[in-house]
Amino acid sequence: MNIQELTQERYSLAAVRAISEQYQEPEWLRQARLAAWEAFMALPWPDYSEETWRRTRLTGFNLEQFPPAASDLPAAADRQALPADLARNLAMIQSAGALVFSDDRLIYADLDADLAGRGVIFTDLRTALRQHEEVVRAHLGALAPAGENKFAALHYALWRNGAFLYAPPHVALEKPLQVITQVSGGQALFPHSLFIGAENSEVTIVEDFVGGARGLCNGVVENYPMAAARLHYLHLQNLETSAWNVSTMRAAAQRDALYRQLQASWGSRLSKVWIDLEMEGPGSHGELLGLYFPQGRQHIDHHTNQNHKREHATSDLLFKGALDDKSRSVYQGIIRVWPGAQKTDAYQKNDNLILSAGARADSIPGLEIEADDVRCTHGATSAKVQDEYLFYLMARGLGRKTAKRMIVQGFFEEVLNRVPVQGVRDKLEAEIAKRVGLE
Amino acid sequence: MTATLEIKDLHVKVADTEILKGVSLTIRQGEVHAMMGPNGSGKSTLAYAIAGHPHYEITGGDILFDGQSILDMAPDERAKLGVFLAFQYPVAIPGVSFANFLRAAVSNVRGYKEKARAGVSSNGETGAKVIGSELMPMREFRQELLAKMDRFNVDRAFARRYLNDGFSGGEKKRGEVLQMAMLEPKIAILDESDSGLDIDALRVVSDGINKLVADGMGALLITHYQRILNYVKPDKVSVFYNGRIVLTGGPEIAHMLEEKGYGWVETEMGELAPAAPDHA
Ligand SMILES: Nc1ncnc2c1ncn2[C@@H]1O[C@H](COP(=O)(O)OP(=O)(O)OP(=O)(O)O)[C@@H](O)[C@H]1O
Ligand SMILES: [Mg+2]
Repeated sequence: MNIQELTQERYSLAAVRAISEQYQEPEWLRQARLAAWEAFMALPWPDYSEETWRRTRLTGFNLEQFPPAASDLPAAADRQALPADLARNLAMIQSAGALVFSDDRLIYADLDADLAGRGVIFTDLRTALRQHEEVVRAHLGALAPAGENKFAALHYALWRNGAFLYAPPHVALEKPLQVITQVSGGQALFPHSLFIGAENSEVTIVEDFVGGARGLCNGVVENYPMAAARLHYLHLQNLETSAWNVSTMRAAAQRDALYRQLQASWGSRLSKVWIDLEMEGPGSHGELLGLYFPQGRQHIDHHTNQNHKREHATSDLLFKGALDDKSRSVYQGIIRVWPGAQKTDAYQKNDNLILSAGARADSIPGLEIEADDVRCTHGATSAKVQDEYLFYLMARGLGRKTAKRMIVQGFFEEVLNRVPVQGVRDKLEAEIAKRVGLE
Repeated sequence: MTATLEIKDLHVKVADTEILKGVSLTIRQGEVHAMMGPNGSGKSTLAYAIAGHPHYEITGGDILFDGQSILDMAPDERAKLGVFLAFQYPVAIPGVSFANFLRAAVSNVRGYKEKARAGVSSNGETGAKVIGSELMPMREFRQELLAKMDRFNVDRAFARRYLNDGFSGGEKKRGEVLQMAMLEPKIAILDESDSGLDIDALRVVSDGINKLVADGMGALLITHYQRILNYVKPDKVSVFYNGRIVLTGGPEIAHMLEEKGYGWVETEMGELAPAAPDHA
C-alpha cells in the first residue's frame, strides 16, 4: 500500500495521517508528523531574497510531480543476491555491517555477530522504533527539528524509513558500517538517518545514496557523538544528475567528543545541503570535509555552520570543488562563537578550481564572534588550471588530459588524504578520474 | 645514431612582440653548448619555443629533430622524441607527488601506453590488457628511481613530496636534474640550472649533467655565470643578445664575458651583430 492508494492527494494532511495509520505508529510520532505538516504548510517556499536561497533557485521544481517512492526490489538473503551494482558497491569497503535500502524498504542487512553481541544496534529506523522506541523518541528530530526549513518539515511529515545506529558506551568498532540507499527514479524519498555514538564509543559510518533519476531525495541526517565518543560520518551523494537533492544534516558533539564528516556531493541536478556542526560540549572537536565536482549544468549548494557553544572546542572545515562545463557551486559557511565559548579554535576554508569558462563558484564565508579569547580563521580561493602547470607536466611527456587529471587530483589531495577509510578514498579517486576523463 | 636538434632562423613572438629575431643553432648528442646572454635577451623564450609552449608563436624558421620539423608537435610528443627542458622556474603543483608524477611521465615517454594498447604487458608478454599496465611496473620504477636518486645525489625524501611544492630554489633545480636522469632525453635544454645554487648544490647539478652527457645526452646550457663552466666543460659557447646569437666560439668567450660584462657585447657587437636574415 502506498499513499496514493490511501488518499487522493500525494501531499496532504490525509497522506501524512495515512503513514501513521499504515505503520500503526505511537501517538507521539503521529503528533510529530502532524506538527511537521503544519510547519510545512506555514513555512513559505524559498524566498530568493533570503540569504540561504539567494544563489540557488528551484526553477523547474514541482513537488506535486513526484509520487512517493515505492520500492520494487526484492529482499536479498545475502550480499551476492543483491543487484550486481549494489553488491559491487558494498564490496568496495571492508565493513563490519551493512544496510541496503531500496527506497524505504530494507532489502538486506548484516552485522558482525560479535558487535551485535556487544550491544551495537544497526538496523532500519522502523525496526528500531519497534524494538527501541524510547531511544528513537529521545533522538528523532531532537537535533534537526522539523521547523528548521520547509524541506525538513516536509521530511518529518512524510518519512518512512532510514538507517539507525546505536553504538553502546565504550564500544569501538574497528571496521566501518555501511549504508546504501538505492533511490527509485521519478519519485520522492524522505530517508532519515539517525546515528548515536554513546559515551566513549567509536564508529565510522559510510552512507551512500544512488539512483533517483528525475526524482526528489529529501533526507535528514542526525548524528549524536556523546561525551568522548568518536563518530566518523562519510556521506557519499551519488545520485543521478537529474535528481533533486535536499539534505538537512546536523551533528552535536558533546564534551570531548570527536565528530568528523565527509560530504562528497557528486550527483544531482541541484543539491541544497545544510550541514550544522553543534559544538555542544567543552573540548569537543569537529571536522567537516567536502568535495564536489559538478559538470554539465549541475548546481551544488552547501551551507555550513560551525556553532561553538562551549569553551575549548575546535572545528576544522575544508571544502574543495572543481567545476566544469556550465556548472555552479555555492558555498556559504559561518563560524559562530557564543558568548563564553572561550579558547575556541575554528577554521574554515573553501577552495574552488574552475575548469571551464562557463562554470561559476560562489563562496561566502562568514564569522559571528561573541567571545574574545578565540582564534577563528576563514578563507576562500578560486583558481583556474594554469597553462603553466599544464605545460610543465606536458613537457615531461604527459598528455594534456593526464596532465589536467593530475592537477585536479592534486587539488583534491588535501581532502583525500584526510579520508579515514581507504575504500572510500579509492571510490572518491575513481569518481574524480571519471570526471576528468581518462586519456 | 646521434640525434641532433637543429634550430633554423627561428622567429618567435610573445604577446605580439617579436622576441626571437632569427636564431640558428645545432645541438648534437654528447655535446655541451653553453649560451650566455643578458636578462631579457630571449634565452628562456628560445627554451620554451623548443619545448613547445603554446603561448610562444613561431612566426618564422623551423626546429628540426633528426631532420624532422617538430613545430606541429605538442610538448608531450616532443618529450617522447627525447627533448627535455629543465625549467628556470619549475612550477609547484600541490597534491601531485613527485614519484607518482614521474612514474606517469617515464611510462609515457618510454611508451608503456602504446605497449599496453598493443596488448603487451610490461614484462613483454602479449595478452589481455591489464589495469594499470599503461604504467611502468611499480617495483621496477621504484628501483630505478632509488638508484638514480643515489647516483645523482638527490635526497630520497623527494619521492614522497609534492612536486616542487615548498621546495627551495636549489631543491627544485636538483629535482629537475633527477627528472632528466629518469627521462633519459637525447637533447636537454637547461635553463639556468645553476642559478641560485650554493657551491655544494652546484657540484651536484654539474655532476649530474656531466654523467648524462657522458651517457650521450646533448645539452644546451643556458647560464649567466662562468662558474658552472668550471664543472661542465662546454664544446661551444654562444652569446645571446637581443633575440639573436651574436657570437659563437670556444670556452674562452665565457671568460671574456665574465671579465668585461655584457656592456662589452653591446658596444662591440651592437653594430657588428649580423643583421636578421629577413633584413638581409
Ligand atoms: N609571456 C610573456 N608575455 C610578455 N612578454 C614576455 C613573455 N615572456 C617573455 N616575455 C618578454 O620576452 C623577453 C625575453 O624574455 P626571456 O624570459 O626569454 O629572457 P631571458 O633571456 O631568459 O632572461 P633572464 O636572463 O632574465 O632569464 C623579455 O622582455 C620578456 O619580458
Ligand atoms: Mg630566462
